[in-house]
Amino acid sequence: MISERAVVHGAAVLLLATVLFPALWMLQLSFRAGGDIFDLSLTFTPTFDNYRTLWTGLFPGSFSNSIVVSLAATALSLLLGVPAAYALSRCRFRARRSIALWILATRMAPPVAFTIPFFLAYRFLGLIDSLAGLVVIYLTFNLALVVWMMRNFFDSVPRALEEAAWIDGCGVWSGFRLIALPLAAPGLGATGVLCFILSWNDFFYALILTRTRAMTAPVAIVNFMQYEGWEWGKIAAGGTLVMLPVVVFSVVVRRYLVRGLTAGGVKE
Amino acid sequence: MLAVQPSSIKRAAENRRPARTALPNWRREQRRAFTFGLLPALLVLVAITLGPTIYLIVTSLTPLDPVHPHSAADFSDPIGNYRALMADRRFLNSLEVQLKLSAATVVLQLAVGLGVALLLNAGSRFLEAVRTAFILPMVLPPIVVAVVWKVIFTPDVSPMHRALTAIGLPVHSLIANPDTALGAIAVADTWEWFPFTMLMVLASLQMIPAEPIDAARIDGAGRLALFRYILFPYIRPTLVVAGLFRLIDSIKAFPLIYVLTNGGPGTATEVTNYYAFVESFNFSYWGYGSAIATLMVAGVLLLSWFIGRLGVEAERDD
Repeated sequence: MISERAVVHGAAVLLLATVLFPALWMLQLSFRAGGDIFDLSLTFTPTFDNYRTLWTGLFPGSFSNSIVVSLAATALSLLLGVPAAYALSRCRFRARRSIALWILATRMAPPVAFTIPFFLAYRFLGLIDSLAGLVVIYLTFNLALVVWMMRNFFDSVPRALEEAAWIDGCGVWSGFRLIALPLAAPGLGATGVLCFILSWNDFFYALILTRTRAMTAPVAIVNFMQYEGWEWGKIAAGGTLVMLPVVVFSVVVRRYLVRGLTAGGVKE
Repeated sequence: MLAVQPSSIKRAAENRRPARTALPNWRREQRRAFTFGLLPALLVLVAITLGPTIYLIVTSLTPLDPVHPHSAADFSDPIGNYRALMADRRFLNSLEVQLKLSAATVVLQLAVGLGVALLLNAGSRFLEAVRTAFILPMVLPPIVVAVVWKVIFTPDVSPMHRALTAIGLPVHSLIANPDTALGAIAVADTWEWFPFTMLMVLASLQMIPAEPIDAARIDGAGRLALFRYILFPYIRPTLVVAGLFRLIDSIKAFPLIYVLTNGGPGTATEVTNYYAFVESFNFSYWGYGSAIATLMVAGVLLLSWFIGRLGVEAERDD
């Protein structure tokens, strides 16, 4: 008799294959040569043609824009958010609860509500189609996430060590730098990765606030659909390249990923 | 009335003073240092969230568009946009489409997420790895999700259409048909977001104490009874919160609609968010678009407040 365990495992694998099938289909499409794309056969000789044409066009520029903007947005939100999270974790501010609610509200707000005022302000400031403009608007979701996640990580670092350091004459922020931050390092890494993924994944803000110079990779993919006809091979290859860093990072930080993705939803 | 004895004031001041000096100096300094750490983030948050929100509301009271540069400060008819919205068929239609899409996706995501979570809720390393793989749709860049489903829904390149043709059931494009386009988007959206419900349910399943489950098993409870009377009551609050989160996020649906249908055919898949985008950035009616966005923010805040209340209740139960 087949054990119940085997049945569950079998069902799980089958379900997983079904769920991942659409994404895998796009992946195989990216390795098909131009004429092969509409071919009915399931077997084909894989080529890197689509990636090669992609790499000789304008796509690398958009791709590096994506990297620069995501890195800068991550660094800036960590720089501002981590000390704030530490302060919220260690000091009982009266406004603590309302700050938490506010942060939750930022996470909920529809992007279009931020986009219109930012668009109007950027037109005035000449920040349309600039990397700096994107970095600033990415702070609207990243900063809240950093404060939210890092506060939880600092809460789980015991206070006793810092208190001992304070008594020995250590200042608040050297205690933070020498004790709390190193102990919360894994959390810091995970938070950073999550910020990077969120910025990297953005499509809406980049679609509206960039034109050509600061265009990011997700917007570039959509442009393959509109201006150059339907080049499925290129679209699939671009999609694969954009998805690659996210998949790699997700595997690296999978344990903390869950915490970030359900931030605000699950009580810790 | 003002004849308060000076001595009583002095006494009150003296009463307060010892408490203050009892706080050691370094503690007050510490507090200052903490405030110093909190302040930059708070100021930036105010500048980039509260500021724009106020600006949005102000703009929604004007008929601002690029053709009339002075309309930015034209408050002669502050509720003009809102009045126009109430009579705007396209807006009212977008609310209806939104309602349908939100209802369909939330229900589907809760059902699928719960089902998968129950299947994967066994303590084995293998299932743990499988759980991680199931998260993929939700972390993929939304634009990639849109491309993936564009492929599935485009007959030329779609494996689904190929398979259906092969078994003698050819179907026309689902996203080009006004009757099925919204359903197609709901399926894609469910694929993208069921992992969220799955994660939340798994987290709450792991917090259920073992005793009631063991007790029910000993009493001979079947699988269904166990779920109905023991597991479900435990995870119900989580399902409510997950549903509300997804409801709020469903209001922001954009890349899928942009890539799959562009709001069409006609306005069959034009949700409110998409309509706000069209008005503001295709037609450049910034004032009008701001009014739509303001109403959306109001709706989202109302729902968030509801979640907040649920959270407060959960805290009281702890």
